[in-house]
Amino acid sequence: MRLRTASALAGITAIALAATACGGEGTGDSGGEAAAGTLVIWTDPERADAVEQSAAAFAETNGIDVSVNAVAFEDMQGDVLNAYQAGNAPDVFIGAHDWTGNLVRNGAVQPIELPQDRADLLDSTSLEAMTYDGQLFGVPYSQENIFLMRNTELAPEAPRTFEELVEAGSALKEDGEVSEVLSMAVGQEGDPYRMNALFTSAGGYLFGQDDTGTWDPADLGVDTEASIAAMERIAEYGEAGEGVLRRSITTENDAALFFDGEAAFFVAGPWNIADADASGIDYAISPIPGFEDGGPASPYIGYQSFFVTEGSTNTALAEEFVTNYVTDTDFILDLYAADPRTPVQAEALESVSADDPNIGAIAEAGTEGMPMPSIPEMGETWQPLGVAQAEIVGGTDPAKAMESAAATISEQIGE
Amino acid sequence: MTAYTVDPAATRYRRTAATRFALWAARLGWRHAFMWVVAAFAVFPVLFVVSAALNPLGTLSSARLWPTGASADNALDLFGNTPFTTWYANSLFFALANAAVTVLLSALAAYAFSRMRFRGRRVGLVGLLVIQMFPQFLAIVALYLMFSSIGEYRPELGFDTRWGLLLVYLGGALSINTWLMKGFFDTVPKELDESAQMDGATHAQVFFRIMLPLVTPVLAIVGLLVFINTVNEFLLASVFLRDTDAKTLGLGLYQLVASQRNANFGMFSVGAIMLSLPTLMVFWFLQRYITEGLTSGAVKG
Amino acid sequence: MAASEHDSAGAPSGAPARPPLPGGRFAPGTSLTAHVVKIGLLGLFTALGVWAVLPLYLAGHWLGLAVAAGVVALVYHVYLSKRTVPAKYLLPGVLFLVAFQILPVLYTMSTSVTNMSDGHRVDKQQAIASIESLSVTRTPDAEEYTLTVATAGDPETGALVFLLTDPEGRTYTGDEEGLDPLPTATVNASGRITGAFGYTVLTPAQVNARSAELEEFAVPTGDGAGIRSSGLSTAFEGTAVRSYDASCDCVTDSETGTVYTADDERGAFYGPEGDRLPQGWKVNVGFDNFARFLFDPTFASSFFGILVWNIAFAVAVTGLVFVVGLAVAMALHVPRMRGKALYRILVVLPYAMSSLAMYLLWRDMFNTDFGLINRMLGLQIDWFGDAWSARAAVILANVWLGYPYMFLVATGALQAVPRELSQAAQIDGAGRWQAFRHVTLPLLMVAMSPILVATFAFNFNNFNAVWLLTRGGPLSSENSTAGATDLLITYTYRLAFNEATAQYGYAAALSVMIFVIVSLISVVSLRRSKALMEVDR
Repeated sequence: MRLRTASALAGITAIALAATACGGEGTGDSGGEAAAGTLVIWTDPERADAVEQSAAAFAETNGIDVSVNAVAFEDMQGDVLNAYQAGNAPDVFIGAHDWTGNLVRNGAVQPIELPQDRADLLDSTSLEAMTYDGQLFGVPYSQENIFLMRNTELAPEAPRTFEELVEAGSALKEDGEVSEVLSMAVGQEGDPYRMNALFTSAGGYLFGQDDTGTWDPADLGVDTEASIAAMERIAEYGEAGEGVLRRSITTENDAALFFDGEAAFFVAGPWNIADADASGIDYAISPIPGFEDGGPASPYIGYQSFFVTEGSTNTALAEEFVTNYVTDTDFILDLYAADPRTPVQAEALESVSADDPNIGAIAEAGTEGMPMPSIPEMGETWQPLGVAQAEIVGGTDPAKAMESAAATISEQIGE
Repeated sequence: MTAYTVDPAATRYRRTAATRFALWAARLGWRHAFMWVVAAFAVFPVLFVVSAALNPLGTLSSARLWPTGASADNALDLFGNTPFTTWYANSLFFALANAAVTVLLSALAAYAFSRMRFRGRRVGLVGLLVIQMFPQFLAIVALYLMFSSIGEYRPELGFDTRWGLLLVYLGGALSINTWLMKGFFDTVPKELDESAQMDGATHAQVFFRIMLPLVTPVLAIVGLLVFINTVNEFLLASVFLRDTDAKTLGLGLYQLVASQRNANFGMFSVGAIMLSLPTLMVFWFLQRYITEGLTSGAVKG
Repeated sequence: MAASEHDSAGAPSGAPARPPLPGGRFAPGTSLTAHVVKIGLLGLFTALGVWAVLPLYLAGHWLGLAVAAGVVALVYHVYLSKRTVPAKYLLPGVLFLVAFQILPVLYTMSTSVTNMSDGHRVDKQQAIASIESLSVTRTPDAEEYTLTVATAGDPETGALVFLLTDPEGRTYTGDEEGLDPLPTATVNASGRITGAFGYTVLTPAQVNARSAELEEFAVPTGDGAGIRSSGLSTAFEGTAVRSYDASCDCVTDSETGTVYTADDERGAFYGPEGDRLPQGWKVNVGFDNFARFLFDPTFASSFFGILVWNIAFAVAVTGLVFVVGLAVAMALHVPRMRGKALYRILVVLPYAMSSLAMYLLWRDMFNTDFGLINRMLGLQIDWFGDAWSARAAVILANVWLGYPYMFLVATGALQAVPRELSQAAQIDGAGRWQAFRHVTLPLLMVAMSPILVATFAFNFNNFNAVWLLTRGGPLSSENSTAGATDLLITYTYRLAFNEATAQYGYAAALSVMIFVIVSLISVVSLRRSKALMEVDR
């Protein structure tokens, strides 16, 4: 027995040594490849190729390696934060401006100093949107806002007020031309993002702003009289009212309704343009109209920007990349080709507007817009406010719904 | 049934077309009818996917079952603009590797649970079940920390590597599947392996030569289940695989529709159909084992 | 010994005749092969162990080394000893299970007594570092310099020097001492210095390699201000507004004069008026997370409602998929049936499709105005708007996705039940149903009950099943944290990752509670059920 064990051990050792020796040759130097000197950039899959090509040029000029990884945009913030906590975050990543507050709170991004000549080219509102606590935390490169898309065959004129829109849409519906007055996604959980234009036009507000435009989380507007009155106004068009706004219209079917000719008006975003072109429908873009006696309808504006991770091992290159490459006209045009969003850099905007009339129309639709608040508290409002708005569209008493939403939000912010 | 005492020999002569039909209906007809209903239930949502795959606008239009337009645009987009074949190959790698190793590890454990009595056996079995109750998305932070440090020392096993993700998948090898296997092992008569052991076979021989051949149906079933689950998995994959070329098809497809704003259901549907093909092929291949494995083998009396 | 090949003496009476046993002779002699295989596998394993341990050893990571060595030793003990037979079969799977499931779960559980959440993810040291570095603000109207990074001496180790050009074109050198004019420098067209006597200009890659130093490096210009780099080619004058002082454990804001004192219980720096700096750190909060929902009345009422629905959902889905799956298996369990293979493929189709896609599709089919279900049936049901219809819809969609699994399993299990038995029962006067109920079903249950338990467990925590269909809704504005179709897992998810703020500590505490409750339920119900009788068998 002893002998057998001994022989077994001897055999094992021999094989182990042989295998280690073989394995060692193959894997010996592969570990060194991923060493410092590689700039890691995370982007969403749509823009990965464009970023990779431009980054390759950057890598060549600076004699370093660049690795571009694709992460779904919706997962980006969470993944970056988890990776940052674990110590293997990327050096640069693409994000939305309204993440800034949360990213800063986690210490995951670092402030960026833009040379004045670079900053001058960028839309000043976009820089303000990226500023948190007096510091610039990312370099914006594109903006997007929702707008009204209409089927010009059915509705040749852009409605100037929401009432006009409803009138035109209802007439078409009565004639049997369409089945829906307006295709605007509400869904079972509401869509405060799309609803904001109507909400602000009717006089509602979410957070107050001080003189400098800084959002004040202490001034929550959800249950104020103005906001409740605004929702009452919107409720007139809900399921219990005119049936223009419906919970059954969701982000999954809103585009299909418009492209199938079931609705002449569509609250759309830049992401619908490519499909609209492919659908063969004659369409035109105009601002989302506000109420006749109301204020301007302000859609939310979202900015896309490049962030530099705090404490990355390649800070110098990362800063160089976002300050000098991301603001570069050619780079922005490359990204535009991959994923057409309105550039915030003046030269690039001029160049794409000349080629694409939609860009100008979308920008015009966004002139009354407001940047989405970037304070961390904003995140706590989506769900309660959305649920309340969906209920109101479904016929619930606006005062009751908005008051309970406000209670939930302030409780969550307070924590 | 017993009320009619008809001489079977007599009926044989008087079989008309009607009675033949009645007999057929009693024996097979209802089965066909029932299967038609179930098959319809099974198939009609799938028709939607096909219709979305052919819809050139990439939208998911729920109002009709038949495609509004037939176009190969989505397929061309998917094949042309994404590293589709790489993703496909990665998916197959994970699915096959995970299925094979899981079947082996699970069968080993199920054998021990079914045939041996040891301390901690009951705790182990219940524990296997209970550990599944812990939400996996919460453990992601822990996996991040773990694989960051593993990657520091062994980049071959860290993020963006096949082996790292495979290791995590194998963490789930002992699971519900082990229960499933143990249930089948229990149906194999104990006397069978006891007698073999009396004849001098070692436990390993009993396992590999007696048990395994008798439980091929469950091995095939578990293999299929793991295969399907791995092909469809995207949560862990999204944490581990960021390099475009390292992704699995499931993850790549998920990312196509993850963005609520510009989700492309058309490409997604094409991918989903392509993704189901290997599954159906594996099923086709394994169904022989699933349905016929035990009929010729020993059964529990 | 070789006679065992056709041995059937030990088989139970009534078992049908068996073909020869697979395999061959069971003579001990064959175990030489086994021995060789065993040596080979253990050898490979050892090699793997050495391969894994080597970098740990080189890096001097002794704890990791000890763990790896321990695992190898354990494997040796188990496979070389004669006494550890069950362990030989369990060890491979258990090793994976412990490393990649149990350890992460334990880690997660350990965070349940911390305040880990967005703004509290890192330790105090890191929080202080980011507070300080994030507070560097550009001096108003400060000069902006064109920068060239150089060293005095060796590119890799020499002291860093900034070669600067101001907007008027004057050139300077800046080092840790301060700023000095540099009268003689080679300057390119854009005003950037490309060379200066006594200094080595660094390439971008060389600059990057010293990123960590650059982060800290500032050319002092008095009053705590300094010239810092931004990228490779620009520098600006800025001041670190906030600085940490270890003696008072506080952060002072030099601009406003506010002193923020560290609060180690809440994990953040708090000012005199209760305002805090955004960057906090992870601290131990004891059982606060547990207390938070134990004493919260809304939580208690939502929790039990959700628990009841969660159990009902899992039971309903398990029961229905069992019935449908078994019925299909029975319908196809007949020797000669035309189109059997085709039927099989068709009914398995739902299982082969990506469940992600199918959930999204089902959600669409339940749409009030445009969904296929309402249109085909001419209904006007707001499926996901009403609690009960939403629940019914969720169950229906999950039955569709789940029954093929049960069908597969039942098909396999039916093979194990000799057809002769139920035929015999029918000859004895039992009706078809009775024969099934009293003969076939009990036998089926032997193989099926573990699967039913497993299906139950799976559906109990089936996140996608609910999240992708209803997202837990319908929610009401009065209680927008708990929806009518919420499972515990979706509820946890919403509470913990509600849009922006990820509250890991809280979520972990909630999961631990759920985990404990569910474990109790499963243990108690298993004790009563057939499945545990199987366990005890």
